[in-house]
Amino acid sequence: MDLLRFTTAGSVDDGKSTLIGRLLYDTGNIKTDILETLTMEGGLNLAHVTDGLRAERQQKITIDVAYKYFSTPHRKFIITDAPGHFEYTRNLVTGASNVDVMIILIDAKNGITAQTRRHSMVASFLQVGKLVVAINKMDLHDYAQQVYERIKDEYLQMADKLGLHNITFIPMSALHGDNVTTLSAKTPWYIGPALLELLESYKIPTQQYAHLRLSIQYAIEDGQQGYAGKILSGTLHAGDKVLIMPSGRETVISSISHNYDTVGEAHAPANVCVYTDGTSLSRGDILSHPQDKPLEGQAFETALCWMDAVTALDTGKTYLLRINTAEAGCMVTSVLHKINIDTLENYSDEAPLEANQFATVQLRTHKPIAWDHFITLAENARGILIDPDTNNTVAAFMIR
Amino acid sequence: MLTEKMDYLDILEAEAIYIFREVAGQFKRPVLLFSGGKDSTILIHLALKAFYPAPIPFPVLHIDTGHNFPEALVFRDELVGKINAELIVRKVEDTIREKGLTDPGGKFPSRNALQSYTLMDAIREFGFDACIGGGRRDEEKARAKERIFSFRDTTGAWQPHNQRPELWDVYNGRIHEGENVRAFPISNWTELDVWKYIQREKIALPSIYFAHERTCIMFNGRLVAISPYVIPDDKDEVVTTTVRYRTVGDMTCTAAIASHAQTLDDIIAELEATPISERGATRIDDQISDAAMEDRKLKGYF
Repeated sequence: MDLLRFTTAGSVDDGKSTLIGRLLYDTGNIKTDILETLTMEGGLNLAHVTDGLRAERQQKITIDVAYKYFSTPHRKFIITDAPGHFEYTRNLVTGASNVDVMIILIDAKNGITAQTRRHSMVASFLQVGKLVVAINKMDLHDYAQQVYERIKDEYLQMADKLGLHNITFIPMSALHGDNVTTLSAKTPWYIGPALLELLESYKIPTQQYAHLRLSIQYAIEDGQQGYAGKILSGTLHAGDKVLIMPSGRETVISSISHNYDTVGEAHAPANVCVYTDGTSLSRGDILSHPQDKPLEGQAFETALCWMDAVTALDTGKTYLLRINTAEAGCMVTSVLHKINIDTLENYSDEAPLEANQFATVQLRTHKPIAWDHFITLAENARGILIDPDTNNTVAAFMIR
Repeated sequence: MLTEKMDYLDILEAEAIYIFREVAGQFKRPVLLFSGGKDSTILIHLALKAFYPAPIPFPVLHIDTGHNFPEALVFRDELVGKINAELIVRKVEDTIREKGLTDPGGKFPSRNALQSYTLMDAIREFGFDACIGGGRRDEEKARAKERIFSFRDTTGAWQPHNQRPELWDVYNGRIHEGENVRAFPISNWTELDVWKYIQREKIALPSIYFAHERTCIMFNGRLVAISPYVIPDDKDEVVTTTVRYRTVGDMTCTAAIASHAQTLDDIIAELEATPISERGATRIDDQISDAAMEDRKLKGYF
């Protein structure tokens, strides 16, 4: 059985928690003692299944990401329940960074809102593989097809601007369970799929990139010097001549160990331990084959989301950049343009980049970094900036 | 994600091994928290895989409440001896004495909350900068919110409203002197995943996870074993029955469940059919309030 990770994004009262509650309940994944805690005066309130912290219960909002787990006979699922509030967009970015599918909820009454645009921006920034737009509360609109079609058309126009594709629209009433786990008789004009059917059958794309990238994490010393790392893409064979990037030195992989075995070859995404001909490796190195090495340099253009709520981006400051295990001092040398959340157009101004804003920026690292473009290898094209004073993670970036 | 052809247990295992190696790569003085329970036993197994052929490159710490199941202690010592790890034991009893704390009284005197003091003292004594724990997000609603690298300030406190962003598998373990990180390699495992992995990997566990006969007090529908720490009085309903433990915490706050499951197959079948959640069935300490775990974490609990 495989595993699918998905997230739900929606504004306050769009029915996000109710949808998660409904999915868990209708698939028999809420235990009775938990169910008892959801039963208040006035009956069962499925939305309470996602409340985690005391403040969230009191304020009736989601502040930070919570993880829920369920399974059906077809698949195991991890739900990342992410906040919808503007000021917690950075937490949505955290939650959505690891998902295969993102579900954006739209209240049929409100249509597309600033929050919908923001959530879609997150999907675009992270290049989420599959997007589901759930047009919810259709029960309050007599399940009218024209309500659904109008919102769908409007969304598609916006999606075009954001470069979003592979979108499925589902008319829904999370409260009543319409088109959640099964197709609803109330929307005979909708041919499917129901949400659960989509989640169970969605084919998670496999890594197409054949070029070897092995990211070194840690030196394992046991008489012989070994190096623990993760194969990000491609295949490594014992005996392969490899480049150590970004330095460009060469070495030969004398043997590979995976779990408790010595293996002749290993494929992504295996965690391996490799041995060289004596050349030493360090945390942060990327190994590749000589004929298809990664890009290497100190300056690149990236999409960036600023995440620090306390301090804005300082273009005169040295941050720490991390891609995989590589780390380097880094400056944001210029903010090329920001993205206006209402019009989704690019714009420029002198104001510093603040929390939850998206921009295209120019980065310069203090030493060379080995990287790939996102479209060729996402795993080696994305990273974070850390503020060395607070040690906080202040930004996420994607090299397009 | 590159997950299509992999079984979910392979995916979870790979994620955990990667996290272990990140802890080793990013911290100077990590420690693995080990209680003899199933979750921390899995951690040991995963750490052995992560660092093979070398031994686990950090010590193992048991915060001993003094209310342990004897079977768990025997198991702890056997396992640590077998893998040749350095075991550090720090006792809550010593903390109570040194700090002049009040030992909880009552029928079920839980030292669960006091463990945080002992843990923080051990962190300071040894200069640990990362504590690897077996917490799982599906256990409890406050745990469900926690990052894999959970930053703690110098008092050990979790700041649930100010957690660091944590994207992809890029974990930020940078801290200042005196701060620490709690790392949770099996965050994304469910109770059933743990058991299926134990079965697949043939991992040994303390005997109390399997059905055995025990004399218990029936308290609010829960079976609490009679022990030197839990003594029945005249009003108690005392029963001797076949039970097993779904979680192994302290004898004072962990309830047994009526069960005849003697093998891993039996246990997995039992869990697949049970209508009750893991902590709901077995924990007395979380029944106190809606935010019992959140409150403990704010005070340095793992």
